[in-house]
Amino acid sequence: VKRLPLDGVRVLDLTMMWAGPYATRMIGEMGAEVVKIESPKAWDNIRTLMPRTEVVDDPWNSAYYFAEYNHNKKSVTLDLAAPAGRDAFLKLVANSDVVIENYRADVMGNLGLTDDVLFAANPALVLVSMAGFGKSGGDQDNVGYGPIIEMMSGLMSLSGYEADVPQKTGISYGDPVAGLAAVGAVALGVIKKRRTGKGSRVDLAQVEVSTKLAGVAFAALNRTGAAPPATGNRHPTWAPQGCYAVRGEDQWIVVSCTDDAEWAACAELIGRADLAALPLAERRARHDELDAAIGAWSAPLDARVAVDVLQAAGVPAGRVLDMRTIKDDPHLYARGFWVRIPNEKMRPYRKSGVAWRLLEANPTITAHAPYFGADNHAVLTSVAGLSDDEVAALAAEGIIADTLGDVSYG
Amino acid sequence: MAQDAPGGDELPLDGIRVVELGGGLAAGYCSHLLAGYGADVVQVGEPGLTEDEDTYLSRGKRRIAPPGASLDRVLAAAAVVVDGRRVDADGPTAGEIRAAHPHLVVTAITPFGLDGPHAAHKATNIVTFANGGIMALTGERERSPLQTGGDQAFLLGGLHAFAATTTALVGALLQEEGDLIDISMQECASSMLEYCAAAWEYESLLIERSGNTPRAEWGVYQTLDGWAGVCALGRQIPALLDTLGLPHEDRFMDPVIRVTDAKDELMAHVLVFMLEHTKAELVALGPSNKLPLGAVRTPEDLLAHPPLEVRGFFDDGAAGRLPGRPFPGFGWAALAPVTETSLDDVLGSWSDVAAAGVAP
Repeated sequence: VKRLPLDGVRVLDLTMMWAGPYATRMIGEMGAEVVKIESPKAWDNIRTLMPRTEVVDDPWNSAYYFAEYNHNKKSVTLDLAAPAGRDAFLKLVANSDVVIENYRADVMGNLGLTDDVLFAANPALVLVSMAGFGKSGGDQDNVGYGPIIEMMSGLMSLSGYEADVPQKTGISYGDPVAGLAAVGAVALGVIKKRRTGKGSRVDLAQVEVSTKLAGVAFAALNRTGAAPPATGNRHPTWAPQGCYAVRGEDQWIVVSCTDDAEWAACAELIGRADLAALPLAERRARHDELDAAIGAWSAPLDARVAVDVLQAAGVPAGRVLDMRTIKDDPHLYARGFWVRIPNEKMRPYRKSGVAWRLLEANPTITAHAPYFGADNHAVLTSVAGLSDDEVAALAAEGIIADTLGDVSYG
Repeated sequence: MAQDAPGGDELPLDGIRVVELGGGLAAGYCSHLLAGYGADVVQVGEPGLTEDEDTYLSRGKRRIAPPGASLDRVLAAAAVVVDGRRVDADGPTAGEIRAAHPHLVVTAITPFGLDGPHAAHKATNIVTFANGGIMALTGERERSPLQTGGDQAFLLGGLHAFAATTTALVGALLQEEGDLIDISMQECASSMLEYCAAAWEYESLLIERSGNTPRAEWGVYQTLDGWAGVCALGRQIPALLDTLGLPHEDRFMDPVIRVTDAKDELMAHVLVFMLEHTKAELVALGPSNKLPLGAVRTPEDLLAHPPLEVRGFFDDGAAGRLPGRPFPGFGWAALAPVTETSLDDVLGSWSDVAAAGVAP
């Protein structure tokens, strides 16, 4: 059986919220041993972000938001502000390959865990920091979550129904894209270590990852003197393209005709053969009229029917899958994308599965998101080399814990 | 010791040979990032990009005409194939390439993956974006769903593919055998729906698009000179209230009342505050108050943004200033405009690998 690519790589995961945990989710799926480290005093806020509708004894162990991005990880709780917690962490560092963190830029230094301290513990360490604005340059004191990153990166200026009103993406887009780049940074660091024996220090700025995704606009700006304006759902060149209502409450499809032939097929299908021969320039000039024609055709149709007949006619089209319909999408179902992961503290539900299908190594979700501090003893004894008595002492001093007690949400 | 460890100038993918097939934005972005970190990328055929896309993404690559049956010789000398072709394209499939060349990491990037009922669907960026779930969450509730600008479905697929490919290369270095990676851009997006898909499945809580201001303390607002935003979680609410000059009263502090009964009142305060300030003033308030405040910047704003210059973010080349490395910490190649070259040139430059018998 082929091994997973990161089999044998140990990652100390100090990340919280979404950007970092999304990175370490992917890293865990690819076979790394991911040890998620939280403090009994400062846990991953995602565990308790969303108010719950059900009463459970330990809500921090069964939050669906947390469960979505923290499978295939172990949980260790260490108060890094306490000297004994910091010492235990450095022992873990000495026996690990990667440290990844997405704290605010000043936090690691305030904890006494500067880059020099970490590399003194392990010179071949791959250290990936992923603060919102990096740790240098002048913007590092800015505070930001995904939408702030999207704004400040230039990306949001490219989105909108109208050119002069920017529109944010409906998810905190800056977070997961930074996480993906961080996975690349970890992989490059491990490659470098295997090739040279040297460690790596990566000062990833989440905002730069998003700006990188706006790069084509910079090329246009250089060439024409202006970045391309937002065009809503329309395409800057071909036509028609748009989002059209179909039968059902708030149900929509998109249609995107990239050439004359696709438009001709679309026009025939919607009963407007009289428009089929319109050249591109005229389709662009009469876009509102074509939108109305497509919308009139689609309005009484079921979304799947509309998409199926458009695709059968050779027209690019798709359903705007919402949070209900995406769970029942026949294609995702056929590919087995949504999976149920047994977790005795949660009701069965379907979560997103592995997106990177290495068809031979076959990564899977092997463990639900860890309960708070569930692996304290095992990891601190086997990786940090602490004795049973030393672990017990950490527990007695509140430096490790497996409960949060009374917590507030938000 | 610590100073030796990190380094930062070595190209981590130096010597890794990559073949880009089929072109397109997703494959182009993936192989652009591989090229930046040192890989030798050969693009087979015209990539089907616009002038600006080609300028941005084809830098540092060599381009050859489709070599017909000789493609096998190129593949034999490569380590990675980034395959952006449709599943029903002419030529050997990604699986057939992988079977013929067990050493290769083959990354196939398609809108819907290599199999399944929609695998052969025709998909543009907006079709892919719509199928990934993010579009349903984007835009104003009283208007249609909205795509995020800048062809993000395809670029996101390329970013996923880059991360997956470099990860698979770690395994290939160890096991001396590659893998076939089936990247479905629909699944890539569906794996990053924040809490929204799970909320429906677990709590029957339907999250719908909520525009620029889903909550008073989490939104985008007009300012004196453009647009800016605030994103405050519960622990940042006190700082937000202080900034707005509001009392720490229960209706603002309570996480449920704040988003229900007090939502309109708080939103009015934020709206007025934003309208009375410039973007620069608002951004400057963030660090001192530990408050997530930001402004909507444009590419024009960013071209001369000092922190990006100080951090060496940009590539300055023949096509002007373009975003460069996505993260520092490794060497990033000087990416010259794409070079048109011949099959013989590529095979000649890669002959050491072919002669060394890496090919099956």
